[in-house]
Amino acid sequence: MFQLSPAGIDFVKTELNRYETKRSAILPCLYKVQEENGGWVSPEAVNHLADVMDIPAAHINEVLYFYTMYNKKPVGRLHVQVCATISCAMNGARELAKHICDKYQVKEGEISDDGMVTVTKVECLGSCGTAPMMQIGNAYYENLTKESAIEVIEDLKKKSTNQ
Amino acid sequence: MLKCKINGQDVEVAEGSSIIEAFKATGQDIAHYCWHPGLSVAGVCRLCMVEIEGNPRLQIACNTQVQEGMVINNNSDKIKDAVKWGLDFHLINHPLDCPICAQAGECQLQIQYMKFGQYDPEMAERKVKKRKVVDLGPKIVLDTERCILCSRCVRFTDEVSKTNELGIFNRGDHSEIGTVDDRPLDNPYSVNTVDICPVGALTSREFRFQQRVWYLKNETTVCNGCSTGCSTKVYFNEEGMWRVKPDHNDDVNGYWMCDEGRGTPRFVNKDSRLLSAWNGQKDEGQDLEAGAAAKAVGQTLKKVVAEQGSDKVAFVVTGQYTDQENRAFLSLAKDLGVKVYHWVNNPEKMDEFDGLLIRGDKNPNTYGLKEAMKEVGVGSPWSELESSVSDLEYVVVAGPENHFAYSDLTDKVDLFSKANHQVWFVAGDHDVLRAASNKVSLIPTKTYVEKDGTYKNFEGREQRIRRVMTLVPGALSLTEASKLMSGQELLVDGNVSESYRKTNFFSSNERGYL
Repeated sequence: MFQLSPAGIDFVKTELNRYETKRSAILPCLYKVQEENGGWVSPEAVNHLADVMDIPAAHINEVLYFYTMYNKKPVGRLHVQVCATISCAMNGARELAKHICDKYQVKEGEISDDGMVTVTKVECLGSCGTAPMMQIGNAYYENLTKESAIEVIEDLKKKSTNQ
Repeated sequence: MLKCKINGQDVEVAEGSSIIEAFKATGQDIAHYCWHPGLSVAGVCRLCMVEIEGNPRLQIACNTQVQEGMVINNNSDKIKDAVKWGLDFHLINHPLDCPICAQAGECQLQIQYMKFGQYDPEMAERKVKKRKVVDLGPKIVLDTERCILCSRCVRFTDEVSKTNELGIFNRGDHSEIGTVDDRPLDNPYSVNTVDICPVGALTSREFRFQQRVWYLKNETTVCNGCSTGCSTKVYFNEEGMWRVKPDHNDDVNGYWMCDEGRGTPRFVNKDSRLLSAWNGQKDEGQDLEAGAAAKAVGQTLKKVVAEQGSDKVAFVVTGQYTDQENRAFLSLAKDLGVKVYHWVNNPEKMDEFDGLLIRGDKNPNTYGLKEAMKEVGVGSPWSELESSVSDLEYVVVAGPENHFAYSDLTDKVDLFSKANHQVWFVAGDHDVLRAASNKVSLIPTKTYVEKDGTYKNFEGREQRIRRVMTLVPGALSLTEASKLMSGQELLVDGNVSESYRKTNFFSSNERGYL
């Protein structure tokens, strides 16, 4: 059963106080849940959040299923989000995504066998001047080539296994 | 009050009214899906477009307030075109499976399409496929494809039942209504979402695929499920009653009713009814004509009272009968000089109230019964009956028609079995009664849809119920039974109400319209 950490619960309480209505606080709280639940929001996590926030689970699900930035399925430790909107697409984002998928032998949106990598193509991340680019966690990696992208991922993989 | 003009007709509405309310006040027709008078305004269906003079663009009537001197119309070609397009967009992903849809015949999509549509669809794209038969618990089945996302049901669970089960998930043309993890939609008012669903997305498990709605007649009456006395519409054909829906009544139930009240066909329909009178003991006995049986009982009672004294007979009454029946029955008791006891089915729950509609007193007319007992001047405490029942020759019971609310029926049969005879006026056929250890007479009574009369609800509001059908021709109302028991004859009732003879709207002159 997923449980928010004490810090997470404090975060939720602060967000609840920030807005006039409880529903307004759903977005940041869901991000917190996703962060603490290993990159995705499980149905149990929704129920837990509904209890903590004291609002109906249906209201949370309405928000959760509207936005693609919340993962409704489990993801690997590194969620590689390759921007695939115009500027990046013109600079080879699709090829880049395919290259990463091939390299880690994983289909788009699925988890690699070692549980490390999930690759998804996402809509514009607002970094058109430095296309192609990808986002892993909260960091942007810009002006990528196939090689540099793999380098970044390998680097992060190492860091994440060492931890 | 504000004055405005609707399609050339002058009308005055209260300040703050929306245009659609003004339309409803004039009785003019206006297309709409998402607006419902009992719910908040959503403004999502974009069908109630109106033209306001001096305003270059069309406005939606549900979310625009009337202002002094507004000139509004919704019969121009511009409006018809707008509604047609609105409808076209609603139908983009609608599966058009009307032939297998339980809502066909009362579907707002069909109704509006016949008024504004009848076009060649210009959509070349494939329809989005969604989930078809979603199990939402014991009462409701959801078809997400048919849903036009009017959000009425979502607003109902948020605002009226306050249970918040439903929501709209996903986005764009993948949007669909549903519950979290497909949990059952099972609150005491959940079937109201089926009533307000303008299309066939939410259907009642009990009623779907049972009958085509255009073969059913309907008539307004009052629910007899509890002491709230909601106004209802019963839908019936020659076979019996098929469903119950709420009828609008601001003073009692607004636009809603509870799910329990929709279960009245269970004890009204013929398969659960006592069809003729019966005399016997321990499952052995003979059928009789109800009238003859009542007469015979009356004569015997008179004899017993005359020979052995009036304390050898007791009358038991329940809050299930109309005021008129109560008066007739109690007067008979008074004339005989016998004691009358009020059988309260669930004394500990009588004053319960859930805050919306459901009351713990599951009798439609407890108030009226108490009033009638006071007026006639009869009534003795129940404990007296319990202690004296074994000395009694006859117990005459005006039993419940809604036996589902009388879980103590078997206990009471056992109690009355201590007397020498028990006489039951009862609508349902109960094995416990036929199996009773003393001599039993059963006389079939009419249910609330088979007789005229008035109920007084918990606050004493007098409401009329009417005869809408006859299911068991041999059954007597308690008034008729009391007359026969007191030795009078029944007159032929020439006073059949107009509504009883009402022709079927769909099957007569209007057939084929839908």
